Amino acid sequence: MEQRLANTWRMSVNEKKFIETALLADLRVDGRRPFDYRRLTIKFGRQVLEDGSSEVQLGQTHVMGFVTSQLVQPYRDRPNEGSLSIYTEFSPMADPSFEAGRPGEFAVELGRIIDRGLRESRAVDTESLCVLAGKLVWSIRVDLHILDNGGNLVDAANVAALASLLTFRRPECTLGGENGQEVIVHPPEVKEPLPLIIHHLPVAVTFAFFGDGNIVVIDPTQNEEAVMGGRMTATLNTNGDVCAVQKAGGEGVIMQCLRIASVKATDIRSKINSAVEAHNMEKALRKIKRH
Amino acid sequence: MDERPLTSPTSFVDHIVVPGDVVLNLSSMANHTIKLGGGLRQDCDAISVMKAGKLRFSKPNKYWVESSQKRYVPCVEDTILGIVVDSKADNFLVDIKGPALAFLPVLAFEGGTRRNIPKFETGTLLYVRVVKANDGVNPELTCTDASGKAAEFGPLKEGYMFESSTGLSRMLLSSPTCPVLEALGKKLSFEIAVGLNGRVWVWADLSSVGRFSVNAASPSTVILVGNAIMSSESLSGVQQRIMVEKLLQRIQ
Repeated sequence: MEQRLANTWRMSVNEKKFIETALLADLRVDGRRPFDYRRLTIKFGRQVLEDGSSEVQLGQTHVMGFVTSQLVQPYRDRPNEGSLSIYTEFSPMADPSFEAGRPGEFAVELGRIIDRGLRESRAVDTESLCVLAGKLVWSIRVDLHILDNGGNLVDAANVAALASLLTFRRPECTLGGENGQEVIVHPPEVKEPLPLIIHHLPVAVTFAFFGDGNIVVIDPTQNEEAVMGGRMTATLNTNGDVCAVQKAGGEGVIMQCLRIASVKATDIRSKINSAVEAHNMEKALRKIKRH
Repeated sequence: MDERPLTSPTSFVDHIVVPGDVVLNLSSMANHTIKLGGGLRQDCDAISVMKAGKLRFSKPNKYWVESSQKRYVPCVEDTILGIVVDSKADNFLVDIKGPALAFLPVLAFEGGTRRNIPKFETGTLLYVRVVKANDGVNPELTCTDASGKAAEFGPLKEGYMFESSTGLSRMLLSSPTCPVLEALGKKLSFEIAVGLNGRVWVWADLSSVGRFSVNAASPSTVILVGNAIMSSESLSGVQQRIMVEKLLQRIQ
């Protein structure tokens, strides 16, 4: 029992009270205003994990996204569609309360929110992943590793997923052989790998509610998450459509939140796009040098 | 550097050392008695390092490695900030960011008797002193100084507590006063309690708000002090003063 007590992350009463009283005066303990987002940095794999890997830092929070692909048999009911699946990995290094191996309640929720935002809004074109109808399709797997928990894992993980999907390249494959039914997967040296077709970028923005729901802050830190009364994650895409909303407890002004979210989502999206562009540019430049 | 022990020509004192470094050779320093602290080990004649950090030397003969980490290794006579986790008949269980929970005997208070056992709810923040830190046993704390007086020890009410690394809290406690606290203290009045286990508590009263921030409520002072301290870890003395100046300008 004692070991378990020693492993849980805990907060003093002083901290909780102070966070609440400071919020009454529109102050947050890290010096931000209620609707300020933390600094977001996106980095991409350089060496071995060349394509489809990204590292996102949102303040203290640190998430790594990693995309892989595999040729599989499609589902019976969708013979000409590839699949996209999201897996989360919560390392005990990120937070002592995360258990190794078994995914916790929050790990499942996080995976579901991101899954709903990306897959059910059809952001990734799955039909273009079909190689041979009914026989072979590409299955895209997104792994999200939580490396450090500083609060608001959902937004950080969502950005990591998007950034790694945007830079991911799958090997090109063609049909050949005697009967034209044999699939040939071309290595990247022979044929340039193909990017995924992504229709729009659903960006998640999380709000935390305090008190009677009249205090709303964006992008809560780990300490604020421990104190908050409720939380809402809105996932908005490029056109301003709401792709998903996840609201866990608490009362709050949803419409106002959505309006703020759409502004923040635009900011985040432009950050992702510029990071991806810079990465692509760098890759192109490196290619020139090699020859 | 007159601290440099005469017997060892290549002194590592006050330099960064990593595990495996041999910092002293005993064969060349016969007739010397030296005392080894944390992070050092003796293999025959060689004194080698076991953890990364700065090698420290205190006259006449003490050597140890000082590092900055998130986890606290209890050490006797350290003053630390603990959070009450549970209370038992004889002990309070206190989280000190260490490998094990610490015990605070219910009688370890000034004039403590079975009759007047204090009541602490879970999550109470305590300023305590480590009295026992042995391997394999939970460390023991007390809320009195060596002469049995309450001194400044005991529960901390209100205020705000934040976590730092052990290196940062050691820097805050160093003498002469570290530049960030000095610069802040010139303009603002606040109370601070620094635990060597990497916890810092700050409290500013509304009535004690300094001349330069008449309109500022106490939370803003506390937040400012907290953020100034947290961002000062990797800054030099001059940089710390500039950073504090900038922060103070912003709230004026």
